[in-house]
Formats: sequence, C-alpha cells, structure tokens
Amino acid sequence: MRLRYTAQTALMTALVFMAVPVAAEDVLLTLTGAVTDGRVEMTRADFDTMDWHEFSTSTSVTDGRPEFRGVLMRDVLAHAGAEGSSVRATALNDYVVDIPVEDFHRFDVLAALYMDDVPLTPRDKGPVWIVYPRDNHGVLADIRYDMRWVWQLVALHVQ
Amino acid sequence: MTGTGGRARYLWLGGLVAICLGLLALAAWQLVVLERQMRIAATENMIWVFGQTQIEALNLALALSDEAAPQQIQTRFDILVSRLTLLEDGPQRRFLENAGVSETLARWRSGLLALDPAQGADPAALRAHVTALVAALRTKASLVMSHEWQSQATRLDSLRHLHLLALMSVLGAAVAGLGLVAILIDRERRLMSGQLDHLRAEKLASDLERERETAENHRRFADLIAHQFRTPLAVIDSAMHRLTRRSGGPVPPELISEKAAVSREAVARLVKLTDTALMMSRLERDAVLPSLRAHDLNDLVSSVIDDLMATAWDRDPARIRQSVQTEPTVALCDPMLTAEILSNLLRNALLYSPPDCRVDVSVFQSRDCIVCRIEDRGRGMSPEEIECAFDRFYRGSGHETLPGSGLGLTLARDLARIQGGDVTLTQRDGGGLTAALYLPKDDVA
Repeated sequence: MRLRYTAQTALMTALVFMAVPVAAEDVLLTLTGAVTDGRVEMTRADFDTMDWHEFSTSTSVTDGRPEFRGVLMRDVLAHAGAEGSSVRATALNDYVVDIPVEDFHRFDVLAALYMDDVPLTPRDKGPVWIVYPRDNHGVLADIRYDMRWVWQLVALHVQ
Repeated sequence: MTGTGGRARYLWLGGLVAICLGLLALAAWQLVVLERQMRIAATENMIWVFGQTQIEALNLALALSDEAAPQQIQTRFDILVSRLTLLEDGPQRRFLENAGVSETLARWRSGLLALDPAQGADPAALRAHVTALVAALRTKASLVMSHEWQSQATRLDSLRHLHLLALMSVLGAAVAGLGLVAILIDRERRLMSGQLDHLRAEKLASDLERERETAENHRRFADLIAHQFRTPLAVIDSAMHRLTRRSGGPVPPELISEKAAVSREAVARLVKLTDTALMMSRLERDAVLPSLRAHDLNDLVSSVIDDLMATAWDRDPARIRQSVQTEPTVALCDPMLTAEILSNLLRNALLYSPPDCRVDVSVFQSRDCIVCRIEDRGRGMSPEEIECAFDRFYRGSGHETLPGSGLGLTLARDLARIQGGDVTLTQRDGGGLTAALYLPKDDVA
C-alpha cells in the first residue's frame, strides 16, 4: 500500500515537471501601475540578475517548516521602479488582495520561486508565492497576514 | 486563650491571602490560555478553500465544454490540480479526514492527473471526469461546511468554559478579599479601642495624681493657716488681756495706743496671710490677668518701702537703703502684682536678717530687663536651700518659728513669670542673700 502511494507520488511529480517546462523567456510576473513606463514584465532571467534569499518558516497551509528561496519583494518593486504605498496582488485564479508596501520594508517578505529546492509551478503554488517570515515575528501569525501569502502570483499593480 | 485566638486569626489571614492569590493566579492562567485560543487558524477557512476548489472544477468544465484554446484549458487544469494539491497538504488533509471526505478526494486528484491534456489525453474522458468531480464536490461541500461550524462551535464552547472559569476564580478571589478586609478592619478596630483604653487609663492616672497633689496642698495649707493664725491671734488676745486686766484706775493712753499698734500689726499679718492665700488660689485657677503698662520700677520700689514702713510700727526706716537712680528704669508690668512681689521680697530681707543690719535695694537696667536687686546681710542660704526655696510651703531651716506662710517666694516667682519676668535668689558676696526681680523693659521707653 505504502509502496504504491510512494510510486504514485513520484509519478505525479514527474508529470508536473513534464507538464510545465519553464522557459527563461516566459513572463513570470507582470507589474503595472506606478512602475517604470507603466508596465514591467519579469522573466526568470530578470529574477536571476537579482540577489536571492532563503529562509525556513512554518506556513498556515503546510506541515513543518519548508525552506523557501527567491528574491525579496522590496527588491522586485525596486527593480520595477515602483513608487506607491500599496500593491494589488493578483493570482492565476483571480484571487486579489491589497498589500501595503510597508510590509516589504518591515519584514523580509520573499517572492519565493522554490520550496524545499523544488521549483514552484502553477500546479502547486507557483510561479511565485509571497512568503512572510512568519516564525521571526509573532505579529505575522495572524489571519490578517495569512491572507497576504498570495500563491500563484502573476501580477502586481502598484498604486 | 488569647495566644490560641491570635494564632487562629493569623491562620485565617494566611489562608485567605493564599486563597485570594491562588484564585487570581488561576484566573490569570485561564486568561492566558483564552488569549492563545482566540487566534483564527487558516484551516478555519475551509469553507472558502473548498468553495474555491468547486469553482475551479466548474471553470475547467466550462472551458472544456466551450472548447476553449488549449492554453486556457491547460491553465484551468493546472489551477484545479493546485487546489486539489492544497487539499492534500497537512492541515487541510487532517480537517478533511475529520470531516470524512479525504480518501475520495485523493482518488479524484490522481484520476485527474492521468488525464493531463499536456500529455495528450482524451478531452472527452477529461470532461466526463471533471463533470463527475463537480458533482462529487457539491455533495462534500455541505459535509465540509457542517464540520467547520461544528468545530467552530466546539471551540467557542471551550472559550466560553474558560471564560466562565476565569470569572468564577475572580469572584472567588473577591470573596476571599472581602473576608481579608473584614478581618483587617476587625483587627484595626481592636487596636484602636486598645489604644483608646490606654489613653483613658493614662488620663485617669494623671487626673488622680493631680487630685492627690491638690489634696496634699490643701492639707498643708490648713496646717499652715492653723499655725500661722494662732500667733497673731495670741498677740491680739494678750494685748486685750493686758488692757482689761488692769483693775486699779484708768488705763493710761500710752498703753492703749501701744497695744492698739501691736494688735493692728497682728491683724495686718492675718490680712496679708489671707491675701497671699487668695492670690495663690487665683493663680492656680489662672484667674490672674496682669494688665501690663509702662511703669518706673524705681518709683514702685519707693512706694512699697513707704507702705512697709507705715504698716509696721517697730520698723526702722534707716535699715533700707535705696540707691539713687539716674537712668530711666521703665518696665512693662502690672503695678499691683509688682508691688506684691517687691513687698514679699523686702519683708523676707527684713525678717531673715538681724534687726541692726542694712538691706540694700537697687534698680538698674540690664541688656533687655529692668532689675530690682534686694541684698540682705543675714545668715544666707546654702545652694541646696536656694534650690528648694521656691517650692510651695518650704520654710528655711531654723526659721520655722518666724512668721511666714512658705508661700511668699512661690507667689513672687509665679507673679513675675505671668508678667514675662522672673525672680532669682543668689548668695551675696560677703554673706547674706540677694533676691532679684527681673521685668521686661518697656520697648517704647
């Protein structure tokens, strides 16, 4: 029984990888609003030119403390020349939430592309997952911040 | 009995303090637990999470039936897989297991992955699978909803229970606190009444002492009056006897005037004694109010000397030497009271020194007083005798037979003090005694 389950998981993971090959030129994140020229599209190559960070944290939807790797949200905004006090984050499934830019300066909020060294894909929580350092600040263990952990992030509108 | 009662009270007190603190600690702990449970966990949002999965299943079904672009179908497929993956993750899976819908969902997900359009699966088979999934999710949604509300209600119950316990602990602590307050108030009351009793006893003791002193003074005064009245009365009696005893012929006028003078002096002594007793009594009742005015002490001294000479037929005016005074000696005093003092001091000087010895009287200014000094050349007094001289009823040793009340000096000093002055006795250089009256200077003069 367990053997079957493990085989199944391996098969599924393989399928996921085959299904969504991420090309370097594919646009992962689109920034609009108060950014350079009103629109900035970021590909994996753009992410690679930036400083990468990683930390482990518990989340409200997984067990344990997965390790996340990606770039800081404030670096993403700086890269796009964003000038505003709030961003409206939109996910693949049209989930929309407003996040104060202040969050990204108070905390090291990550635009994560990897969880436990596995690249995030649209079949999981990719391409980008906004991750707060929940374990380092007591105030973050709260539903009001949990709402801002946008997964499958594809667009940021700066205002 | 008291010791046992006291220990019992302390036990009560300690017990109540312990109960009070214990209950408060319990309430604090319950509040901390309450605070921890008051957070909203993300798994409590399962109705929404499950609803999103339903919507994504419907979206994919829609895209398939509309025969949308393959890219769009792929995206919808990916999102639906991600929703089902999310439901497989730890906290969500446990919630669904508890709700009894976990096992079937896992099967739906693997079935879906086997029909991945990116792998060129049959769209018709995928559509049939998704349609069946939509129907399955619809029936499970109500199970999820009822389980969520069930768990929410259970959590609220436990919060309410904790809240009630904390409330009861606080109420218990308040009752124990009231008991403590009652005990403390009782102790305070006992303490106060104890202090009051003590004060009352002290006052009683001091009243008794004063009463005893007064009784003693009265007794001594009665003795004194009896003794001192006897001599003048005997003198008068003897004089009368002399005048009436003569049988042969009329009484010569010289004898009458002589006996009259002797009798008058005896009467004067009686009057003086009565005056002194009255004055002492008034002083004791604080009934003497000095009326202070500016008076030349030198003039007062002169008039007192004149009076003394006038009332005693056998006194030699030459015995008293008043030194000539040039500087002003204006004192702030009551003339009646001051005359009484001076008269007392002068009588003493005349009485307690040999009849042929001089008494010097001088009045002068010191730095802030006017002083009248009366110096006799009598036997004088030892320092120990001077120390007792102002005591009531004190008579100098060897003078018990001389007329005197033992009140004169006491009265003199008391009268001087109520005028802001004083009377002192010192040994005179070359023998005898110096009595001095100090009175405040009149500032205006």
